[in-house]
Amino acid sequence: MAATISVFDPIAPYRVDGQQKYTTLDDLRGKVVGFVDNTKPNFDHLIEDLADVLVSQYGVASTLKFKKRQASVPAGDAVMQELLEKCDLVITGSGD
Amino acid sequence: MTVCSTAFETLGRAQSKGLAHPDLPIAFVPHPFGAIKRDAIRELALKCAYDIAYLVSPAAAPAATKADTNLRAPMIQLADDIEAVNRHFREQRWTDGFPVIPPTPERVERMLRCSSRNAHDVVGLVAPGYGAATVERIAINAVMAGCDPEYLPVLIAAVDAIASPQFNLQGIQATTNPVGAWLIVNGPIAKKLNMNSGANCLGQGNWANATLGRALRLIMQNIGRAMPGEMDRATQGYPGKYSFCCAENEDDSPWEPLHVERGFQPGQSTVTVVGAEGIVNMNTRTKIVSEVIRVFAQCMPRPAGNDYRTGGQPWIVLCPEYADILAGGGLTKAEVKRLIWEQSRMPATQYAAIDFELVQHSRRATLGEITRDSRIPACATPEDIGILVAGGAGTHAAYVQSFGNTRSVTREIV
Repeated sequence: MAATISVFDPIAPYRVDGQQKYTTLDDLRGKVVGFVDNTKPNFDHLIEDLADVLVSQYGVASTLKFKKRQASVPAGDAVMQELLEKCDLVITGSGD
Repeated sequence: MTVCSTAFETLGRAQSKGLAHPDLPIAFVPHPFGAIKRDAIRELALKCAYDIAYLVSPAAAPAATKADTNLRAPMIQLADDIEAVNRHFREQRWTDGFPVIPPTPERVERMLRCSSRNAHDVVGLVAPGYGAATVERIAINAVMAGCDPEYLPVLIAAVDAIASPQFNLQGIQATTNPVGAWLIVNGPIAKKLNMNSGANCLGQGNWANATLGRALRLIMQNIGRAMPGEMDRATQGYPGKYSFCCAENEDDSPWEPLHVERGFQPGQSTVTVVGAEGIVNMNTRTKIVSEVIRVFAQCMPRPAGNDYRTGGQPWIVLCPEYADILAGGGLTKAEVKRLIWEQSRMPATQYAAIDFELVQHSRRATLGEITRDSRIPACATPEDIGILVAGGAGTHAAYVQSFGNTRSVTREIV
């Protein structure tokens, strides 16, 4: 048998501590949906139309729309707090 | 949940794992979404709304994954042959594309002896995978990069710095922009490690500069899980992502060094991390202070550059000769920053219309109301400009463009 050598695996596993299961909704009717615009082109238009469709066709009660300062920074603490307090579902954008 | 363009599916799914929401629902729109005409978006919104409704109300929710943070790096057995080891590492995408030194227990242990930290101490979580950067994992990647054992404390401080929120590692790692981490070493350790702060200090040829920068890249890739084309979404990237590291030429600088400017003592050693894009060479034969300032400042404005689009932290690397000219003219470092900041303002008319709107939105908080008549600085204040004296003989300066949404971080090396 050929000689072997021990080496370390240099990869770190994804963080798994504190993993949370997302909470499902029984229904979208009567719910409040929040949007966080990532400032990428056209996402504002998609939000506009999604809000319209979710309210008119899925019974969503109302929507809240926020826009980040820039794509590569998180939404501010005040925005996050308002989303937490007021929304049943929050939709963000990612990518170009 | 997230709406993601299709080309970013890998990033979206991997990112949700990294943020401890492995079952985060993702709805998709076609890529490139930004190129779709306004009147076609309605149709996509109908489909997307259906997907959202389906995803958030499934019949049964997936079970949560059992929490299990494993801080001990696993060991594998490979044929005792340098080529076989590298073949395996290459297949696993554990390298930067160059061959590596096999991280054997003996080599890693030798490196760990150069730090007083426990091997399984977590120095920081490295975005975007938020892998735990233990001292041991830092040492493993440092061995792979070819670092001498004595370099480990520099990397521990550097990892602590990149994990700092103001550095915005998440943005730097996952962006389409060409950006990496530039390491600047100050204090006595630079000489102790034989680092290059002089001729060609940002180029090839010095073992410490080269392997320290390379090790941090491997850490960002292997611990942060920013694999090119996956969570590292760089459109082209740039060569500085292989390695970008130097020391400051403190001996030939007429001013206080960077770490002293930031509140450290001259006898302390520090590492500063900068979210840096490429460098622009600036070469003029003038020795007139006002002309040096003016022509450097005029090299900076770029309407498509991230400093000007987002308000960044641009850096100017001055060779000792330019630094002497400016200091000889009576300028302090702070005065050089102020003059360059004022003279490098760019007319807002140079932005593309859509970028102008973005700048109006994103920079209002620091610049106030922005109109087409505004002249936009590269950063919010003169103090945001970084000045470093580095390099050897010759009259060259470098404008190091920043990623914009990042701030450099300095940590003491202990």
